[in-house]
Amino acid sequence: MTAIAVDKLTKRYGTHLAIHDVSFTVPRGSITGFLGPNGAGKTTTLRILAGSLGKTSGTVTVAGFDVETSSLEARARIGYLPEQAPLYPEMRVVEYLTFRAELKGVARRDRRAWVDEAMEKAVVGGVRDAMIGKLSKGYRQRVGLADALVARPEIVLLDEPTAGLDPNQIHEVRALLRGLGGAHTVLLSTHVLSEVEASCDRVVVLARGELVAEGSLEVLHAAAGSFVVVLRGEPEAARTVASAVADVTRVEASSVDEGTTRLVVHLAASASIDPVVAALVSAGMGVREVSPVRTSLEEAFRALTLTDKGDETGASS
Amino acid sequence: MRGFWPIFKRELFAFFVTPLAWVLLTVFLLVQGAHFFLLVDHLSTVTADAGDQTPLEAFFGDTVVLYLVLFLLVPPMTMRLFAEERRSGTIETLMTAPVSVPAVVLAKYAAALVTYIAMWLPTVLYVLILARTGGIDLHAAAASYLGVIVVGAGYLAIGLFMSALTRSQFLALLGTALVVLLLFLVGMGEFVTRDGTTLHDVCVHLSVWSTMTEMARGVVDSRRLVWGATLIVLPLFGTVRVVDAWAWG
Repeated sequence: MTAIAVDKLTKRYGTHLAIHDVSFTVPRGSITGFLGPNGAGKTTTLRILAGSLGKTSGTVTVAGFDVETSSLEARARIGYLPEQAPLYPEMRVVEYLTFRAELKGVARRDRRAWVDEAMEKAVVGGVRDAMIGKLSKGYRQRVGLADALVARPEIVLLDEPTAGLDPNQIHEVRALLRGLGGAHTVLLSTHVLSEVEASCDRVVVLARGELVAEGSLEVLHAAAGSFVVVLRGEPEAARTVASAVADVTRVEASSVDEGTTRLVVHLAASASIDPVVAALVSAGMGVREVSPVRTSLEEAFRALTLTDKGDETGASS
Repeated sequence: MRGFWPIFKRELFAFFVTPLAWVLLTVFLLVQGAHFFLLVDHLSTVTADAGDQTPLEAFFGDTVVLYLVLFLLVPPMTMRLFAEERRSGTIETLMTAPVSVPAVVLAKYAAALVTYIAMWLPTVLYVLILARTGGIDLHAAAASYLGVIVVGAGYLAIGLFMSALTRSQFLALLGTALVVLLLFLVGMGEFVTRDGTTLHDVCVHLSVWSTMTEMARGVVDSRRLVWGATLIVLPLFGTVRVVDAWAWG
């Protein structure tokens, strides 16, 4: 079952193309990480999904409802936490959540119980009577989270829910997120990769407004490979030769000892290391050792989202 | 109209938990109280045949105090309605809830209008005081209050519209004050243009001053009410369109 279906979505601001021809689906009950560097179009996409921003073209369906033609029905099934968790500072936490529950159409007899439940899930019960304006950033974020959950929505959209939290709070929010899978469908935007590894079972990756990967976490791991190459030669020269090979996204070079260099070569999706070895050998550098490195999520992310390899090749010596 | 009631309640709440409302209410009642005192003082010293005005006319009608009060009261009441929500970003959580745009606009407007009417309520005491000490035309009193509500409702609608146009509360305040002043000046045109010209007729028709003066005499002219309704409906309609348009920015 598909909870969110985005088809050929494009958003243009004047001449600036914020999102270009993006299509992806989010299965019901999954926790999907929405990844991408800052400015990739994550927030724009989430705002279109949540119904607070119009699209230029394409179709977006949430819980079976088109977000434009059946906007009210779609919005009634979404809990959305915007990036800054905007709240009314002059209200108390419980007042705010009760207001939000009423606004979202929670029946009067359920309101109290549902508000209590949301406060418990987001761990804000301890500040229920505090003024929102006096709360710390971490608490405000969690009040926003409680708001997203208060009407028991089918779909929860979270825009960087752990931004600005301390490690303990991040841990709590992650535990909460894991508990949401199954009953809710969660689409979680972030650029913190450990968060995706900790909480998500699927990923959608955007870069420069375009979709670059979609699928299980394995998609990310398989997307890019890196190898350690040990050779005879100078670090700078070896790095220049290796960087010039097609499909090489990044090269780190370090000197092991006199005349021996250790390269870490990062390759684009499903590329082979062979051309790199061939290039090094034909440049007169004797290759002593080639071994694969299991790609970390960070490396995969960089490989997927960086295309301009020139400005990212850096020697670490 | 989904979402009207909770937003209406929240707006009323938001208005009265901030010091602004109480400052405005205090200033309003101080000015009106002083006005009433001066009026009673004046009427008690003039000889009976010199007075060609009823107290009601002097309080609601040919007086600049009323406009001064409206001019000072309305812009700060409406400036925050949309501008604050847009600046703080709460507009996004508000508009992504299952609410309709007209419901949001009308809820905010209704809250401002109810607050405005609540501010006038204590002045009903003056009418009661006058009624105890002398005769008072209750019909004219009712007409006066109708006039105050119609004119105020129009100003509030303009203020709401201005608040939707900008993220800056200050600009909303300034814009509202300017439009309100402009409306007043157009009405003043009645006294500076020549009788019989089209310009004069337009000024008479659009005059807030004449509207209030007539109503204070107990004259309720349906043309005045239509003009008042236009002042309310047009800005509200514009506000709905502006709020709709944000999403496409």
